[in-house]
Amino acid sequence: MLLLAVAPFFAGPASAADRIAVQSAQLMLADDGDGGLMLDAQFDFELPPVLEDAVNRGIALYFVVEFELFRPRWYWFDKKLIDETRTFRLTYSPLTRQYRLATGALAQPFDSLADALATLRRVRGWQVADRGLIRPDDKYTAQVRMRLDTSQLPKPFQINALTNRDWTLASDWRNVPFSADLAK
Amino acid sequence: MLVPAPAISRALRYGLLTALALGGVLLFLLASASGNTQAFERNYPLLLAINGAIAAALLVLVIMLVARLVRRWRAKRFGARLMARFALAFALMGVAPGFLIYIVSVQFLQRSIESWFDVRVDRALESGLSLGRAALEAQLADVTGKARVMALELADVPESQQLGQLERMRERVGLHEALLVTASGRLIGATDARSGSGFDELVPELPALADLRQARSQRTFAKVEGDPLATDPRAGLRARVIVPIPASTTPPNDVEGFATSPRGMLLAPARTEVRLLQVVQRVPPSVAANAEALQNGYREYQELSLSRSGLQKIYTATLTLTLLLAIFAAIATGVLLAASLAAPLLQLAEGTKSVAEGDYRPVREFRGSDELNLLTQSFNAMTRQLGEARDAVEARSRELENARAYLERVLTNLSAGVIVLDKDHRLVTANYGASRILGISLAPHVGQPFADLAPAMAQQVAGCFSDQQLAATPKDSWQQQMEIKRAGGQRDAEPLALLARGSHLPLDDGPGYVVVFDDITQVISAQRAVAWGEVARRLAHEIKNPLTPIQLAAERLQMKLADKLPIDQAEVLARGATTIVNQVAAMKRMVDDFRDYARVPPARLVALDLNALIDEVAALYGVEKRRRNPAPDAPAIELALARGLPFIEGDATQLRQVIHNLLANATDALQPREAGGAESGGRIVVRTEAVAIDDPAAPAGKTKQAVRLSVEDNGPGFPANILRRAFEPYVTTKPSGTGLGLAMVRKIVDEHGARIELINRSVAAGGGASVTIVFRRVIQAVAAEPTGARRRVA
Repeated sequence: MLLLAVAPFFAGPASAADRIAVQSAQLMLADDGDGGLMLDAQFDFELPPVLEDAVNRGIALYFVVEFELFRPRWYWFDKKLIDETRTFRLTYSPLTRQYRLATGALAQPFDSLADALATLRRVRGWQVADRGLIRPDDKYTAQVRMRLDTSQLPKPFQINALTNRDWTLASDWRNVPFSADLAK
Repeated sequence: MLVPAPAISRALRYGLLTALALGGVLLFLLASASGNTQAFERNYPLLLAINGAIAAALLVLVIMLVARLVRRWRAKRFGARLMARFALAFALMGVAPGFLIYIVSVQFLQRSIESWFDVRVDRALESGLSLGRAALEAQLADVTGKARVMALELADVPESQQLGQLERMRERVGLHEALLVTASGRLIGATDARSGSGFDELVPELPALADLRQARSQRTFAKVEGDPLATDPRAGLRARVIVPIPASTTPPNDVEGFATSPRGMLLAPARTEVRLLQVVQRVPPSVAANAEALQNGYREYQELSLSRSGLQKIYTATLTLTLLLAIFAAIATGVLLAASLAAPLLQLAEGTKSVAEGDYRPVREFRGSDELNLLTQSFNAMTRQLGEARDAVEARSRELENARAYLERVLTNLSAGVIVLDKDHRLVTANYGASRILGISLAPHVGQPFADLAPAMAQQVAGCFSDQQLAATPKDSWQQQMEIKRAGGQRDAEPLALLARGSHLPLDDGPGYVVVFDDITQVISAQRAVAWGEVARRLAHEIKNPLTPIQLAAERLQMKLADKLPIDQAEVLARGATTIVNQVAAMKRMVDDFRDYARVPPARLVALDLNALIDEVAALYGVEKRRRNPAPDAPAIELALARGLPFIEGDATQLRQVIHNLLANATDALQPREAGGAESGGRIVVRTEAVAIDDPAAPAGKTKQAVRLSVEDNGPGFPANILRRAFEPYVTTKPSGTGLGLAMVRKIVDEHGARIELINRSVAAGGGASVTIVFRRVIQAVAAEPTGARRRVA
């Protein structure tokens, strides 16, 4: 019992076997002239059985994609220019036996979990920055990652998340190549 | 002030209290956050971590406290055991119930949580879900049926009119939406139940190609879809059915261009492509609401079920943290309480120890009205009184000591002798006076029978005490004059005359006797002198009267009968008369001497130069001697007169007589030498000198000037038995002396307030006698003319 009280200290950061891999990520300019920077990313992961079971029972899983843009400074830490997140909510409705993937107000129904996950894995056309924020002559670094947001889960699952590795599903920060062409 | 070091330093105490307070607050937060509520959902692990940190901090503090206690116990510091016992008792009182409650709570918790998840509830929910699904399925089937009917009917309608028919059919059948699409997914037309003008509507949701394909291959696509929780009715639960429109039996006969239906829908040119009909029927609100409730309930139940272990962990963690906090709080409070309770007791114990060692310092007093605090105050009052009592006792014993010392000094300096005897007449105490009077040292012989020490006196004392007891009228004390032989004196030395008084004295271990005695030999001789004086006066008076008649008668006889008698008888008469007259004259002289002795006139004291007087007298003597008897072996009189001798107060006539007497005595003492014809060598020295004597009237240490006159001779000296009584009348060594000379000298000396002493000089100093007179009444001025040094008077 005593161990339980101090267990939170010992549940380390995500070094779990279940990880999200960032297969690819790239920044593009929007098609229209005054559009901003768009991010395309492809993630790869498998939903562990525990999470799958949770979803099938109606628990909503929240996946968060985070994007950060830095301008490196030689005299201090890099300056973070952009810090954007996008949250996807994956739910299952046992009544209709349909999965829904929602982003903000937009929701998409899926008949199978695989379909939903396939769509979730692909992030396409996410506007992360206005054009004007990028100066042509500066150097920038960008990184992106996706993780399961356990803070949105109900409290008992947060405890589980602390002690059970299956619940810590996250990827590492992956550098997004940022070419000077984009600045132009 | 006795203050033992505080058991718990102030810093530690405050740290403990702060930690406890903080822990309490955070625990409350944790407890309210635990469970299936919305509170603190985002930061729950953080809260847990903070509480854990507080618990760890408290653990450290408690370990410090306990270690401190153990250290003090090991070092055997005063009060450590008491505090440890208290602390243990309090801590146990707090911990044991807490532990019990914890165990019971945990058990209760686990069973409760388990009881939530009943199989029946599970089954009920599943059944509900099935029911819901069945209802939806039923609706779907209904819509499918209607769609098929519509499709069959539309098949018979030419394509250009299908849209118009669609609307009518839709309304008739009572569907919410109807859509016509081609197999490739292109929209042909749509109608909507919601509003009249479909043109202003949003673009309807086109079915996916996959759905169309499925509809074509399986002849029906039916699905219930939507989000039961959605608020937008368009996104809510609905049944969607796609059926292909079968090939029409009537050939198409009008190839018109674009036509607009009354609804103004877009028309596509008729093709021979397969068309599909999609109808959407929204689930009625009540059913939707129920479905929503069911889904929510199911989800929540599943959440609970899944999170069973998590919940258990949460609750157990909360309980454990609570228990830990409570335990630490109990231990800390126990120690604090023990410290505060034990502090007065320890003070008292230390104070008691100090009092036992004689240290009466006050202990630290505790404010507060409970009994322990009052005890310390009472303790201090007690020690204060003890201290005062002890001081009083010491003061009194000092006083007693002083009184005793004073008494002892008085006793010691008493001229009278005090002897204390016990019931067996053994010596208990003897003062210095007793030893001095008796002439034997009594102090070392305490405990010995008095009879061994002074037999004569002891016998008489014993006799007196027994007489006292046998007396007819018993008195408290007896008084007796006794004469005892002097110790160590010559055989015929004058006995000691003592006046003794004795009485009973109760001693610690029985009855005792106390005897007080005075040496009254001097007193007796003085009394004797007075008595003699009186006798002398009376006798002189009485005798003198008949003397003159006798003389006269004798003279007359001679006168009258001298010539009437024959020669030889006349001679006899003459001789007889002469003898009578001579003897009467002698008797007269004697009587005169007596009268003189008895009636010495009071001295008229004036300032007097002693040296001058001595010169006068000596001159007389020397001249007289020379004149009368210039024998070469007459004793020589030397004068050794000090220069600058102060004047004394004296009567010249009387002092002349004194000097005359002394010189006469000295000369007489040396006469036998002369008569025996032995070698001369008799010397008489008359010496004066100024001396310093203690002046009782002056401040301590100051001495007074006095004048000493001594007449020394180197004759045989004074016989021992005469020495004490020399000044008494009729005491003389001369065969033809009256014995009144020295008595007179004594009287005169007394009148002058001076002191006289008779000394036998030691052989080393030349032997012989010395008479010394110390004149105390001195005029403190130097004599005008020094009388010079020695002068031999041959």
